[in-house]
Amino acid sequence: MTIAATECLLRMYDERYGLEDYQGGVPRWCTGCGDNAILAAVQRLCRDENLRPEKMVFVSGIGCSSRFPHYMKSYGFHGIHGRALPIAEGIKMVRPDLHVFVNTGDGDCCSIGAAHWIHAIRYNMNMTVMLHDNQIYGLTKMQASPTSPKGLKSNTTPRGAYLDGLQPLTVTLGVQNVSFVAQAVDWIPELLYDILSAAFHHKGFSFVRILQRCPEWLPNLFDPWMKDPQRLLLLHGEGGLRISPALSKAYQNQQQHDPSDLNRARELASVIDPIPVGILYRNTDVPCYEDLRRTGQPRSHDFIKAGLEAEFDKFTVWPQESGSRTTAA
Amino acid sequence: MEAELQTHIAFHLTGRRRGGQIESLDELRLLPLPFAGYRNLAELRYDFPLVLFADGADEVPVQSLSGLIDSLLQEVAQGPDGQRLRRHGLRLEQEIRAVASGTSGRVTLRTHWDAAASRLAGHGEEPLQDSLRRLRAALKRDGEVVDCDEDMPFRLLRHIWAVLRDRNARKARDTIDELAIKLSDILAAEFVRTDEGLSPEWLKAGMGSSHQNAFDFAVMSRLLSQAAPKTPLPEGRRRRIRWLLSVLTSQRFFPASKGSDAPTAAPYEFVFESCAEAVDAFRARLPEMTELAKALAMAELEVEGRYNEAKHDRLFDDFASNGLSPQELALFPDYLVLARPDEIPAALNAFAVGLPAKVLVQSDDLLQSSALAGDGLALALGTKHLATTAVGLSAVFVLQSSSSGLMRLRDQILRGFAYPGPALFNVFSGASAGAGALPPYLIAAAAAEARVFPTFVYDPSAGPDLASRFQAQMNPQSEADWPLQEFAYEDEQRQRICERLPFTLIDFVACDRRYARHFACVPRTKWNGSMVPVSEFLGPQPAPSEKVPCLLMVDDENVLQKVIVDVKLIREARRCGEMWRGLQELGGIRNSHAMKLLAEERKAWAEQQQPTRSNGGGATMASAAPAATAAASAAVSEAAEAKPASDEPYIETARCSSCDECIQINSRMFAYDKNKQASIVDPDAGTYRQLVEAAENCQVAVIHPGKPRNPNEPGLEELLKRAEPFL
Repeated sequence: MTIAATECLLRMYDERYGLEDYQGGVPRWCTGCGDNAILAAVQRLCRDENLRPEKMVFVSGIGCSSRFPHYMKSYGFHGIHGRALPIAEGIKMVRPDLHVFVNTGDGDCCSIGAAHWIHAIRYNMNMTVMLHDNQIYGLTKMQASPTSPKGLKSNTTPRGAYLDGLQPLTVTLGVQNVSFVAQAVDWIPELLYDILSAAFHHKGFSFVRILQRCPEWLPNLFDPWMKDPQRLLLLHGEGGLRISPALSKAYQNQQQHDPSDLNRARELASVIDPIPVGILYRNTDVPCYEDLRRTGQPRSHDFIKAGLEAEFDKFTVWPQESGSRTTAA
Repeated sequence: MEAELQTHIAFHLTGRRRGGQIESLDELRLLPLPFAGYRNLAELRYDFPLVLFADGADEVPVQSLSGLIDSLLQEVAQGPDGQRLRRHGLRLEQEIRAVASGTSGRVTLRTHWDAAASRLAGHGEEPLQDSLRRLRAALKRDGEVVDCDEDMPFRLLRHIWAVLRDRNARKARDTIDELAIKLSDILAAEFVRTDEGLSPEWLKAGMGSSHQNAFDFAVMSRLLSQAAPKTPLPEGRRRRIRWLLSVLTSQRFFPASKGSDAPTAAPYEFVFESCAEAVDAFRARLPEMTELAKALAMAELEVEGRYNEAKHDRLFDDFASNGLSPQELALFPDYLVLARPDEIPAALNAFAVGLPAKVLVQSDDLLQSSALAGDGLALALGTKHLATTAVGLSAVFVLQSSSSGLMRLRDQILRGFAYPGPALFNVFSGASAGAGALPPYLIAAAAAEARVFPTFVYDPSAGPDLASRFQAQMNPQSEADWPLQEFAYEDEQRQRICERLPFTLIDFVACDRRYARHFACVPRTKWNGSMVPVSEFLGPQPAPSEKVPCLLMVDDENVLQKVIVDVKLIREARRCGEMWRGLQELGGIRNSHAMKLLAEERKAWAEQQQPTRSNGGGATMASAAPAATAAASAAVSEAAEAKPASDEPYIETARCSSCDECIQINSRMFAYDKNKQASIVDPDAGTYRQLVEAAENCQVAVIHPGKPRNPNEPGLEELLKRAEPFL
């Protein structure tokens, strides 16, 4: 509840933030890296939404993409490999007032963190998740990741990857309680921005897979799609994206798609060529875990202390009961 | 024959009985014909009694017994024995209704249920026992049972008000508690940086007893004191936080949350019996309300760290100098006034001075005795002007209904209580002094049916215009002047006769013993053709001559009787009809303005149709012209979209993916704009070679190097060749 007078006063003295208010240092990513495009789009989004830097937190795991929080001038948590989502969930649980963003890579999310990913979808906590999918382990210099295409030669697959790549969108759309799934490509900034903006405004777990170029290890991976606009399929329509006339002219392969249609979303998610770009699925009716579990009880010091004591008591050995003296461990 | 007619006409015109041909109604226990089927309400299935549920989260606070049984049966009566369960469920409902109608006081549904079930079970077989057990197990909620009596409107509305008030109070309480905790946190965080907070004793106390010997708290204190930040909380901010805490913890508008052991003053009472008392209380509490509203706004800023003394101090010094805004008033509980009809003017005055009140006005008698006594003759339909007043007030929610219809208006009542402004509920209870043994439900329903106390809702939050705000269509047969009802009876030859008769004010007055003198019963032997139904006297046409209006009534044995009505009542019924027409107009039913406009439009449309039919091609040609213009303008705008000349270098900035390639080559030639997308800011700040390399390296191929600006640059020929794909 925000009191009317406060709203009024805040509007009166509304502080406007510029792009530089969100820029935290010069990115150490390789020149030409697609992560730069994602960073620029996120910073623009923060500025346009006038988000207060102290009200945002960026959480990441390990990998090139996971350096993201360093470059945002806000709260951040550069976590451990595969564990960005549990950390983000914890933050959202105790600080529902913060805007939580998660930046994770294809190795971080779809390999070591796959279990957390699946359950995070089911929990549907309100956060924006960006999967920077460059289909390779870049930070450790080119090992195959779960999303690497079949036949890709890398340090761990010198004869080419034996398996088809995992498709993160179909996995996400197959999990209970999925509420928002979109796909973007880093080389169309306007669409990337629009999709991230839609994800940010969705209340729930907004999962955006971003196909991201790695100029260092896989410089030509996306060339066929970048050079031929017909090989991108732009999804638009009621409840989805509105494509600007200029973009419409350049990318004429378009399709009307209703994001509430889960079955059609699943069909589209399986399409690899052309690459579908846009909002595949959105369901605003799925409850958020943090709302389901919120008791409404204000967390006073005594309340927290009593809760902690109760937890610790479960593990306490009472000298009177055990009949022997216990020594401090 | 002539003499009889003379006697009848004389009574009709003068109200005086002469001769023995007609009987006074006083001794005969007659009822208007429509009531014949409703002598024993407990045997019928209808909206009452109601169950007032204790609050269950966001569920409805009230339900009718029949609605409750229906939902239980929907849940339980499935499968092969569904039919049996349904039958037993309905029997149980009838039994509960009978039990409830025979008791008074506050009794819960479960008590009535158990009493009714044991009455049934006494002479029941095993399947009945099983049904009762299963239905009882499905009953999850409990609450007081109220029948449609004199106290019902007060109890029902007070209950709904209290449930909503408690829900809002819980939310407000949580907000206040949370703000207080956060404010205390600021002071606590400051305390641990003070000398006292860093003293060895304090540190030791915070460690717990098990490990105290493992630490040297003096050293710990010294180390922490050295490292503690040296910027204390400004004194002004500390004072402000303390003041905020004192206001938040001492407020009396919301009761303390459960489990809180902090000593608090008793919360304020918000239920009053007169508007004047409510206004006095509101005025007396206003300074405290303003202080709390101010403290809440300040605390929100303070806990967010956004309170800026330079900007906010002056504003808060003069906080609410123009009075509290509706949004701020909405934070506080509404005042509930339970009043009698003579309070309506006081209520309207209270609304004018800004009292945020929900006023329930209950009338028990619509036909007060003084009204018909004198020659002036005006039925004391005391609240009949309320509809037009409601429209005039514009910002007050007004609901008028007989108590019999309250359950069907439950959603509107909830809207009224949720409406962020004053609300007036005008209810007729039906517990009229002259009703004799008739139950209040019947009288209330008759008042609504006879247009004496029509139902309407004026909801200012429903939309900007009268059409969306004013609703009257919930009245029975709202399109008609009087609702028509079909009656079937048996004549002397045992033949079935069906008649459709209007239910009017006269039927309603006929229930009231106090006005028996306006009716005269004609013995069956004296019936004649000049006795016609009252409806012939109520239409727009002049009253028929040599006829007398008469009403059909029934006696205790349900034998039909004819009763002559005097002219005063006819006059009054016509007035009531006109009043109803006015309400219909407000509710958009047969609205004269709309009907007039419609007629004009129809006429105009018909005239327009005539020439169009004779000249069919015109319309097509006319519509083709704008399309052509639109296409042309689109072509023009497309042509105007000029690209920069290929001699000049440029970047398609909107497509730039911010990848740093060009910036790395020459950060004076290329630069980012406010969206962090690149453009060429100075083509002369570098060489053509750099432009070409940037174009080649650009990941999304949006750099176009143009033609070289310096003809003497070395290696131009090779560079021009490389630049070709990007021109």
